[in-house]
Amino acid sequence: MKKLISIVLILCFTGWVMADDEGAEKDSSRSFPITNYIYKADRNTNPSADHSKFEILKQPFENAHQLTAACLSCHTERDKEIMITSHWNWEREDVLEGKGKVKLGKKNILNNFCIGVKGSEATCTRCHIGYGWKDKSFNFKDPLNIDCVICHDNSGTYKKGKGMAGYPDPSVNLNYVAQSVGQPGRDNCGVCHFWGGGGNNVKHGDLDVSMLDVKREVDVHMTTEGEDMSCVDCHVTEKHQMAGKVYALSSENKDRATCVQCHTNKPHTDEILNDHMIRIACQTCHIPVYAKENATKMWWDWSSAGRLDEDGHPMHENDAYGNHNYLSIKGNFVYDDDVVPEYYWFNGLANHQLISDKIDTVPLQMNTLYGSYRDKGEFQSSVEPSKIWPVKVHRGKQIYDTILKTLIQPKLWDKEKGKGAYWVDFDWDEASRVGMEYVGQPYSGAYGFIETEMYWPLNHQVSPASESLKCVDCHTRNNGRLASLTDFYLPGRDRNAFLDGFGIIVIVGAIVGVIIHSILRRYLRRKCFFQKETN
Amino acid sequence: MEKIYIYKIFERFWHWSQALIIGFLGVTGFEIHGSFSLFGFENAVRWHSIAAWVFLILIVFAIFWHFTSGEWRQYIPTTKLLKEQFMYYIGGIFNNAPHPTNKTVYNKFNPLQRITYLGLKILVIPVIVTSGFLYLYFQYPKFGIEFQSLEPIALIHTFGAYILLAFVIAHVYLTTVTGVKSFSSIKAMITGWEEMEDEEIKIVVEEEMEVALQEIKGKLKAGDEKSDLLDDALGAVEEKLGVKRETFFRDAIAESSAGYFCIGKDGYYKEVNDAWLNLYKYNSKNEIIDQHYRLSRTEEDFKELEASVMKVLQGETINHGEVKRICKDGSEGYHTLTLSPVYIDDEISCFEGFIIDTTAKHLAEHEMLKKKIRLAERQKKNKEENN
Repeated sequence: MKKLISIVLILCFTGWVMADDEGAEKDSSRSFPITNYIYKADRNTNPSADHSKFEILKQPFENAHQLTAACLSCHTERDKEIMITSHWNWEREDVLEGKGKVKLGKKNILNNFCIGVKGSEATCTRCHIGYGWKDKSFNFKDPLNIDCVICHDNSGTYKKGKGMAGYPDPSVNLNYVAQSVGQPGRDNCGVCHFWGGGGNNVKHGDLDVSMLDVKREVDVHMTTEGEDMSCVDCHVTEKHQMAGKVYALSSENKDRATCVQCHTNKPHTDEILNDHMIRIACQTCHIPVYAKENATKMWWDWSSAGRLDEDGHPMHENDAYGNHNYLSIKGNFVYDDDVVPEYYWFNGLANHQLISDKIDTVPLQMNTLYGSYRDKGEFQSSVEPSKIWPVKVHRGKQIYDTILKTLIQPKLWDKEKGKGAYWVDFDWDEASRVGMEYVGQPYSGAYGFIETEMYWPLNHQVSPASESLKCVDCHTRNNGRLASLTDFYLPGRDRNAFLDGFGIIVIVGAIVGVIIHSILRRYLRRKCFFQKETN
Repeated sequence: MEKIYIYKIFERFWHWSQALIIGFLGVTGFEIHGSFSLFGFENAVRWHSIAAWVFLILIVFAIFWHFTSGEWRQYIPTTKLLKEQFMYYIGGIFNNAPHPTNKTVYNKFNPLQRITYLGLKILVIPVIVTSGFLYLYFQYPKFGIEFQSLEPIALIHTFGAYILLAFVIAHVYLTTVTGVKSFSSIKAMITGWEEMEDEEIKIVVEEEMEVALQEIKGKLKAGDEKSDLLDDALGAVEEKLGVKRETFFRDAIAESSAGYFCIGKDGYYKEVNDAWLNLYKYNSKNEIIDQHYRLSRTEEDFKELEASVMKVLQGETINHGEVKRICKDGSEGYHTLTLSPVYIDDEISCFEGFIIDTTAKHLAEHEMLKKKIRLAERQKKNKEENN
């Protein structure tokens, strides 16, 4: 008998001890499985060739095209790889629900930041990997228009000129740049991906200049205190095709850079946590807040733009933290840092409000993320069930055609006044007319401002495991992280009021019954004894 | 006030470890439900799952025990006295009325307990366990099975928890009201020994005797050693009850409806019980103790009996047929009797036995015989007249 007891006790204890071990290992860096990843200590970072020894790169370049020609003279065929990428075309073929195959990209998609590139290419294409895209006449077929060094410059001296349609700033020494090329570093990617939307961390909220030299608490992968990973370690690139894309622009569940490509789909030692991965994205728990180092833009109200100072000049106003909260050319902003994400079901499929689409909801969703709790099993509509994702939602007000009920692509930028560009003429009507004519869409002449929302699923600036969400961040009765996702039963948060009411009645009933019963027993018994005695 | 051994060791281990596990599952479970914070959600979930497995192991052991020990019979529901038991709890208990049922090793539970515990075993626990394991392992798709929602499983599981909690409250309370003292039932569950009123103990002993005698009967038929069997059976009773044979055997004998006697090897009565006195129509023991047994026998019967007594004193046990007795007032009666030797320090010092009255049967048989004779005579007469 005693043996039996001790066996059961041993079973209990080993269970607990094992559970404790799991807890202890949680924060150790190699306790979770990682595949196909080379640790920093094992990496060979020596360049394969020393470009400063190539004669062709020592020639005096008259323009940037000649530099490209020099590159291609050795790296033949690379131009063909480049010219089918979305980094070059700023569009790719995607399938949109209800709209079929559509060519989508920065070239034609509208957002609720700077709205769109059309009509303002010369300034926007400062982020294009080419030279000379100033309007529709740009030749996407000419290999010499490719800007190789915007990605491959390792000198840190290369930069494109403002409003120069992608050409380098005149101050750049092309020979020096050409002789110090190599794999893209995080500053090559960052110059566009950190600064998109006209400022640091404006768009993504999880990509900003702090990542050039980043603390472990901010980004456990890219931290210069640790693994020091570069962008392309995750965004694995083959033939210039980079894995990963952002749902601000794309809509299909393909070519994504994911956590599981290194971490496998069973990264935790705890089975319950691994089970969570079936319905919860890694990012949900491991990116507890975003915009950790620098604030990101949360609100952009175009409708207040156009207010000029006393001298009739555009002006800007800052908030207490030094972020713009008003620009004459753009309107009002709200920035925020250490932002708690919003959570949405997402199955990897998205839709987009195209410029020709009618507006049927307010606030208007610029890019709808599809998914729901029910999106699984027989109802599953993508390659895997919907998961809960952390999302930065950028809200704002932007211009639309009040009669045709479509969004408007206004012309924003030009070097000169009088060409309809809003940023110099401050005339919405004219900017709309010129802009819509440029993209070949009708404009009724009546415009207004409509509230819009844009969804940015978060992926970067993953926190150390110790900072990740705890069970009770979601599994809590009130004000949990998932309070807004009400289409499923979440233990610890949800209950059935009727059942709990029943339960309370049963328990309280039992207790009250017991109390009444025991009181009656004491009282009536005493009475009986008393009666017996008197008899 | 005496103590009776009611709960066996596994039973007690099972009961208390089950109580502990269910309590722990309750606390962690309601924390997961969001009713309060104690261990922290993560620990609550982890420990709840571990405790669930431990509970399952215990259940497997308990099921095994129930069937191998035959204890499952204790849970066969009965409507007999069910109403009385219920009325006792809501009425009689307040007036110091006696318990309508008694607790014995063979019938530990009153009819209400039988039904309640059976309900727990085949309804509440299975529902909680099943929904619990669905909760643990099928909230996400597994083996091609996928529930559209966790909600119904969670609600059923929670419902079971409420029912079980209500049961525990009532159960704990009732343990304090049904024993001799407030905590005697709980003490019994810990030590196995239950304190009982003398009245109850007699019932228990009688029941044990009955079972033991039934067993002995079965074995006698099979032709085993007779005297050892009685000893074995009584030994078994002793062991089961944990009482001394001397005390309770004598008490039981005193109460027995069969007449009991004990006669020294010299032939003088040493002990008789009330039933014996009744049958022989004596008023008190004093009138017969230290008298020789020939007193109540006819001459020829005494000789026959003496021969039997000789055999008994040699160590044999005898199941004697019907004998005639002469009562105090001179009237006659009939009974069957058993004779068995009594050993003290391995030596036969006296012999004892039971007598069961057969006078009524004897007379009835006698009357039946007379009736038959009359009938035969009448038939004979009728035949003669017809001729």
